[in-house]
Amino acid sequence: MKDTRRTRVVLGVLLVVALAMITIDYRGGEESPLRGLRDVGATVFGPVERASASVVRPVSNTVDAVTDAPGERRRADRLERQNQRLRERLRSMRLDQDRSAQLQRLLGSAGMGGYKILAAQVISAGQGFEDTVTIDVGGRSGVKPDMTVMSADGLVGRVTRVGPATATVLLATDQTSSVGSRLEGSKEIGIVQGRGRRGLGGHGGTPLRLQLLNAAAPIQPGQRLVTLGSQGQRPYVPGIPIGVVERIDRSSGGLTRTAYVRPFVRFTSLDVVAVVVAPPKTDPRDAVLPPKPRPVAVPAVPPTPAPSRTTSPSPTTTPSRGN
Amino acid sequence: MLNPPEPTAAGRSAVAAVVIVVTLILQVSVANRLPLPGGVQPDLVLLAVVALALVAGSMTGMVAGFLAGLAADIIPPADHTLGRYALVYCLIGYLCGAASTEMDRQSVVPFFAVAAGALAGTVVYAGTGMILGDPRAEWATVSSMVPLQVLYDVIASPFVVWAVLRVTRRYERTERARVDGLSVPAARYRAMSGRGGNL
Repeated sequence: MKDTRRTRVVLGVLLVVALAMITIDYRGGEESPLRGLRDVGATVFGPVERASASVVRPVSNTVDAVTDAPGERRRADRLERQNQRLRERLRSMRLDQDRSAQLQRLLGSAGMGGYKILAAQVISAGQGFEDTVTIDVGGRSGVKPDMTVMSADGLVGRVTRVGPATATVLLATDQTSSVGSRLEGSKEIGIVQGRGRRGLGGHGGTPLRLQLLNAAAPIQPGQRLVTLGSQGQRPYVPGIPIGVVERIDRSSGGLTRTAYVRPFVRFTSLDVVAVVVAPPKTDPRDAVLPPKPRPVAVPAVPPTPAPSRTTSPSPTTTPSRGN
Repeated sequence: MLNPPEPTAAGRSAVAAVVIVVTLILQVSVANRLPLPGGVQPDLVLLAVVALALVAGSMTGMVAGFLAGLAADIIPPADHTLGRYALVYCLIGYLCGAASTEMDRQSVVPFFAVAAGALAGTVVYAGTGMILGDPRAEWATVSSMVPLQVLYDVIASPFVVWAVLRVTRRYERTERARVDGLSVPAARYRAMSGRGGNL
């Protein structure tokens, strides 16, 4: 009986305290004097809760993992596939960008000269001693043997053999290739011959050799070469940049003079090229040559049009010259 | 037991054909476009022919070499006289096949065979070019190319020879296990010793 009375008293007190606390806290709002109590609680229980959570989480994760396993597995697979696809797309986009830039430059060069071109891509290369590549256009696209092949930088070679969907290109660096060429400015003509192995095995690193027909003609390093153009524009159309004279063979006392030429095209990394399917209506002369890297001295003859051919440059040449 | 059953011979020819075609495609579209120093590329087809000859003997090596060479002569970017590679690879296949009967199970022998085959192949190919008056095969070019070619071939040989051995061996093992399961040890010995069937 006594016990029950005490119990009731304690119960009553506790209830009152609780109600008081509720009242005080409720009325106090943010400024409640009981905030300190809560801070104590946070300080004491916080770490404990964290510790317990760190024990419990793996367990519950394991349980979750076991129950959700098939779904998670699928999700991981899906994400992995998606990741792969995105990475693939990114890579191909980068390749496409590269290719698009090359095509853009190619179109610029072709436009400057007034060539009608068919873009193609190099798909394989020859073996042994020959410098040949295969491109992915052929007879079905209108390619015929003895057409000029160029890239955005300059002369690549000529088509030798045509299949239905592919064509074989003899590179200008091949030892059987010889291209009629003309020096920029002085208009001296010569023959550019390949020295083999895509220019990598050349002695001294210049994969092309120029035989200048006039042994007394002025020539100096830094002068640039364009194609002369063959009879009937085949196999070589005129005006395609070939390269820069790098050094001149002084020792030769023959009928011709020999110089070594560094080509504009990097023959080891050919990718996007173009077959010239229709030659330009007028000889583009030096218009397709890239802008001079430095004000190099070409004192021999100023680059004026030859008196015999007073054709005005085609409309496409002059505006796009600054490209 | 000495005469392999008919399906095995046909199957082996098929495997050899697949190996050659795959190697040839890899050669023209990948290996030949590598800008390696010196402008020389490893000759994977030659390596594949050497490996096939070592596995299957001189008859297979000879035929496979001839067909591989013919294919290398006509695959698009090729621009040399038709039949040069056929001649060279046929010879190399025969010689390596003949050497394989002499060799025992030492694992270094294939690499000597590869080096010798690469040297002989390049020199004979250059020789045919000189005989035919090919301006590309002039002495200066050949003399600078041959050492590099042999070096690259030897470097590339472990991969090609290993791949070819693996393909042919796996095929032989499953084939024999299917045909007569009791002769597996003999088949394995034969595959390891490098003289497979007596074609």
